[in-house]
Amino acid sequence: MNRLFALLCLAALLIGCDKKQAAAPRPSVPAEKVSLALNWFPEAEHGGYYAALVHGIYAEEGLDVTIIPGGPDVPVAPRVATGQVEFGVANADQVVFARAARANVVALMAPLQTSPRCIMVHDGTSYKSFADLNDMTLALGMQDAFAQFLKKNYPLRNVKIVPYPGSVATFLNDKSFGQQAYNISEPFLAAKGGAKPRVLMLSDAGWNPYTSVLLTADSLLGERRDMARRFVRASVRGWDKYMKEPTETNARINQLNGEMGVDILKFGVDEMQAMVYTPETRDKGTGAMTPERWTTLIRQMEALELVQPFLVKPEECFTSALLVP
Amino acid sequence: MNPRLRSFALAMLPPLATFILFVVLWDASVVYFEVEPFQVPRPMAVVRAAMERKEQIGSGLFLTGSAAAMGFATSLVVGVLVAFLFSQSRVIQRSLYPYAIFFQTVPIIAVAPLIINWFGHDTRSIVIVSAIVSLFPIITNTTTGLTELDRNAVELFELNGATRIQKLFKLQLPNSVPYLIAGARTSSGLSVIGAIIGEFFAGFGQEKYGLGFLIFQTSSQLKIDAMFACIVASTLLGLLIFGAVSLVGSAVLLRWRSN
Repeated sequence: MNRLFALLCLAALLIGCDKKQAAAPRPSVPAEKVSLALNWFPEAEHGGYYAALVHGIYAEEGLDVTIIPGGPDVPVAPRVATGQVEFGVANADQVVFARAARANVVALMAPLQTSPRCIMVHDGTSYKSFADLNDMTLALGMQDAFAQFLKKNYPLRNVKIVPYPGSVATFLNDKSFGQQAYNISEPFLAAKGGAKPRVLMLSDAGWNPYTSVLLTADSLLGERRDMARRFVRASVRGWDKYMKEPTETNARINQLNGEMGVDILKFGVDEMQAMVYTPETRDKGTGAMTPERWTTLIRQMEALELVQPFLVKPEECFTSALLVP
Repeated sequence: MNPRLRSFALAMLPPLATFILFVVLWDASVVYFEVEPFQVPRPMAVVRAAMERKEQIGSGLFLTGSAAAMGFATSLVVGVLVAFLFSQSRVIQRSLYPYAIFFQTVPIIAVAPLIINWFGHDTRSIVIVSAIVSLFPIITNTTTGLTELDRNAVELFELNGATRIQKLFKLQLPNSVPYLIAGARTSSGLSVIGAIIGEFFAGFGQEKYGLGFLIFQTSSQLKIDAMFACIVASTLLGLLIFGAVSLVGSAVLLRWRSN
């Protein structure tokens, strides 16, 4: 029996020795296996994390990282909070929702300082600002906080709200149709489809949560702080790399998500330059976050009655401690 | 005690006891295993969330309920007509039955966006999705009822030179009633599922939200207690429609048997 057990252990060990581990630069210390769960299918807004993987930056930090693609409404924060995955990518408002539900996750870095969230309408129409969004059909995920923000702050007279269709097909055929979008992708697809899109940025209207934020669980930060520090450091380097040399990473993303051609990914990277590098990050470094921005977001969500007043504290939502070199 | 009341109480006792046991076990497990509230909430939290949102859930129940009832009614009418067509000729039945199975096997999640493309973002599309999901049991059960007849009865009709119409009204239709009712019972629950799926894709507009949307919203905002409340409401809606159909079905069966 003991011999059988020993044989089984040996077999398990052999199976466990995959190629990545063998190729790690520090063979004496096996790379630490960690997972990163995305909030959507692999796209440009996740590029920096993929860059860290593709260019071996995670491996250099002794990390064997698996990136798990997401999809519509995948529960990233709960999986991170319960330790099913070590890290997750979500937008800042999801961190606030999570903390309100006692799913204790904390943001570690914010690659996209400006939210790419926008409403895409047709150029040459009367829809020039959010206040002009009247007498039309608008595809919006009303479950999202930004949609509640729009509804509360603008008249949206005679606007028929329909669920977000997940493509630009309807948009192309209807001049009085607008839809939620990320300015780094849908406008490109619409233009490719022959339309002339115009984007109204939610960030200009005051709704600007950090986007594609890296998050982990409070508990992990206590127990595996050094690993988290290495992960953050590698992710920041990954984002800087992606902004400079996106070609290889885009090829990988394209492999994983055929919907995202390398042309649209390149467009995304160009659009993101000004969203990743802001006066704030020039001062404090890529991915930096401020208590003021988190406070603004929480107060906005409280005003929208999405979370109870003073339930979520800004200082619990994020930490900049691991960003310091 | 009134004997009817007594038998009703006796009939209600086992499911009620099961329900209470289930709730107690649920609560105890959440506490014992220290399950986080964003994974499984305690029953009282669900009740509280339901009370906080009673107006929203009430109007959601009404909207989803109306769409499901219309979807069910549509499937009842269409299903009976199709079954009638099938019963008229073996050739028709053989040619079309495989396509009727389509309604059972179609991946409705994939087809729903198409239906919304064709019929628009409104209640009509939701009713159509609900009808598609609930159609098949009516077709198949009613067809069986119209075609699987007692051989002696058929011979009796033929011996007496009964016309096709006489055979239909005096033999086939009466024979199909219990089958139709069994099919309708199955369909009634399915119609609610169909309506909720339809809502995921169509929505009801800016101000009105059905249960499907509320489930989606509360899930995405991690308000799991409220989400459980909406799921319970959907289940109750299914039970309500099922109960109503069963009640009408039993009354019809009673008359049918006495005839």
